[in-house]
Amino acid sequence: MRAIWQLWLQTWRQAVIPTALGQVLWFCAILLMLLNRGDRGGLIGSLGFLSMGTFLAHIGVGQTLRNLCRPESFLLPRFRLHLLGAALLDLGQWVLLPGLLAHWLELPYAGLIATCLFGVASLGLSIGCGRRVGLFVWVIAIGAGWKPQLATELAHAALDSSFTTPMLLLLIGALLAVTLMPLLSISDPDTEDSPLESMGLGRMNNSPGGVARPRSALAKRVASWFDLASQHALDVALSRYRRRPGARQRLALVRSLLLPHDNPIAIALRLVLVALVVTAYFFAIQHRQQFDAAVVGAYAILLAMSRFPQFGRGMLRMQPNLADLYLTLAPTTRAAYQKTIADALLLLVPVSVLTALTYTLLGIVLVHAEEPGRMLLTALIIAAAASLTALGVHLIGPTSTFGRGIANFVLILGAMGSYWCGYWLIGSFGYVFGGGLVAAVALSFGITVWLGAQREYLRRAPCFDALPGSPTL
Amino acid sequence: MSLTTALPANSLDLASPRVETPPVLQVRRLDKAFQQRQVLRQLDWSVPAGRVVGLLGKNGAGKTTLLRCLLGLSPSDGGRIDLFGAPMTEPGGERMHRIGFVPQSFDLFPWMRIRAYLDFTAAFYTRWNRDLVTRLLDSWELDPAQKIGQLSQGQRQKLAIMRAIAPEPDLLVLDEPVASLDPQARRAFMGELLELMRRPGKTVIFSTHITADLERADADIALLRDGRIQFMRPLAELRTHLKWVVLSRPDGWAQLPAIDGLLKGSLHGQEAQLLIEDPAVSDLQAFADSHGASLRIETPTLEDVFVELA
Repeated sequence: MRAIWQLWLQTWRQAVIPTALGQVLWFCAILLMLLNRGDRGGLIGSLGFLSMGTFLAHIGVGQTLRNLCRPESFLLPRFRLHLLGAALLDLGQWVLLPGLLAHWLELPYAGLIATCLFGVASLGLSIGCGRRVGLFVWVIAIGAGWKPQLATELAHAALDSSFTTPMLLLLIGALLAVTLMPLLSISDPDTEDSPLESMGLGRMNNSPGGVARPRSALAKRVASWFDLASQHALDVALSRYRRRPGARQRLALVRSLLLPHDNPIAIALRLVLVALVVTAYFFAIQHRQQFDAAVVGAYAILLAMSRFPQFGRGMLRMQPNLADLYLTLAPTTRAAYQKTIADALLLLVPVSVLTALTYTLLGIVLVHAEEPGRMLLTALIIAAAASLTALGVHLIGPTSTFGRGIANFVLILGAMGSYWCGYWLIGSFGYVFGGGLVAAVALSFGITVWLGAQREYLRRAPCFDALPGSPTL
Repeated sequence: MSLTTALPANSLDLASPRVETPPVLQVRRLDKAFQQRQVLRQLDWSVPAGRVVGLLGKNGAGKTTLLRCLLGLSPSDGGRIDLFGAPMTEPGGERMHRIGFVPQSFDLFPWMRIRAYLDFTAAFYTRWNRDLVTRLLDSWELDPAQKIGQLSQGQRQKLAIMRAIAPEPDLLVLDEPVASLDPQARRAFMGELLELMRRPGKTVIFSTHITADLERADADIALLRDGRIQFMRPLAELRTHLKWVVLSRPDGWAQLPAIDGLLKGSLHGQEAQLLIEDPAVSDLQAFADSHGASLRIETPTLEDVFVELA
């Protein structure tokens, strides 16, 4: 029992925010269910609270499990059995108890309610473990939005069918199997990507302790394409440097070392992959008749900016490895070294702009946008300004997880908001005046932030300290 | 001029240990490859209970891979591993109470404080030596309130060692346990280890490059090379069997003298330096006399043996 208690404590130690929020919501929901006895509307509202709490808490459980299930942990006596014990307790709190309460309160479909809570918990767990099940939720939501009447009829039929609960349980079983099998089995770890890169198209390469998250065969295949492209780019940069060891060639070499996936082939590959996903998404929702071009464009900006959170964390994780680069470059001054790094990273700006333009173009084609020029001009200006700002902020910005989280939130929301403003200004005042105004404001802001950050970065001494708890590459 | 001859590994007549007690570990025809690279090939190994075994091998020889395969932490490609008499496919079950493991680098749970980590681990074990933990925390100057992520590599290694020996395991597997420790902590660790483990039925397997530690532990030596255990013998026996034979003559040697039991040799100026298994002194003297050479016989250090044979 002590081991199960310790396992339960881990969620509080590792994922305190989702766990605390989940528990508070659970407590409130149970209390509301008891207080609203007889009030059907109130009871349904309480169940909403309960679902949200279940979902949040199990995202935390998933994160904890992901960190806990390392090969070495399985050396702990009866580790899996104790995990099962903890899971049963969890099931009791989040599924069984609310189900029994629903039954006691004579709510209809109490069994189905418990099963749905189980499903929500499994979904949260799966997302917390880093599986892409969120995509399936979107598919369901898109489907329901596409044919709302059919969705309602299906929901009613499901409520009346005795097959619904077993089918849901089967689905949950499959989801849990897909989620837990890789965590509970032992395999040799994959090699890691560069901390500055994220193969997850916006998701963080954030595995603590240097253990790479288990990948599917397809993800491994895609990663191997990126690796091949990176190796090729590094070979090219090396041979060019050997032929003519100038400053430009040296910078290209440093870039291919720091940003291995920012070479033409890898960029093209990334664009194609995202384009495929986005195209599939648009085809799924093409039955919707109205598209807001500003929303589509802002989404393209969001996708282009989504690599900066990884960049911010990666810069910190990479610090100890940069010592080797420092010694290899043998700079005349510390500032010269800092300048080399800053210049090398500046490549992220054109790459982000190119990415934003490509995604905007894709959006234009897919939604048959009426004003492609307006969208592209806005994307060009805002992506350039936002990526300069993001690069500057992350170069000198906060080192704490919380601080970086806030910075990322503000940067991405700010970029999307700026897109909307810019789009409106260009629409209202025309390409020349509106575009000029947007460019003047946005670019001057971005350039000012970047120059200020660069100045501060050059003033600082290079730091090669390891982030607490993070291994070197 | 230096000429070195390497003999086939299997020519050593030290391959199989004398098994006096039932083996705690039995490995048969173990294979392990990483993509195209075969690390372990048809490896056979038997470790009797109650031994302290030092696993020696060059960097990249596969020591870590072997130890991880033994514990089921890395899936093997073929072969069979028996631990405490039962097949070991992956870790789990009651026998984990009897196993302690210190990994090469301890990167687990950086968010936890030392005390919380030790409490967490202790909860899984039926046997946990709290006095030992308290004593080691004190003598190794580890603050229980400190977070693991803030510890240096050496301090993490100390914690890993502490966590591995606290359940008083019957089999302790240590992968380069002392590489990150300072000499004082290394000596203390070896002292604790020997005190704990030199008891009937307790077995230690540890890989290391620091041969002085193996000599201090008076361990059995197992040499891993070319994906196989080439031999396993007690250190004292190894010393009795293996000798440096130095034959010196004024006009030097054109090639290595052909002597029975020659494992490895090299020529340095007037001298032929030969590592010989079970040398017959009278025959060697006769050989030296017939070639007008002087003879000197020395006992090699473990480091010499490692350098020459690994």
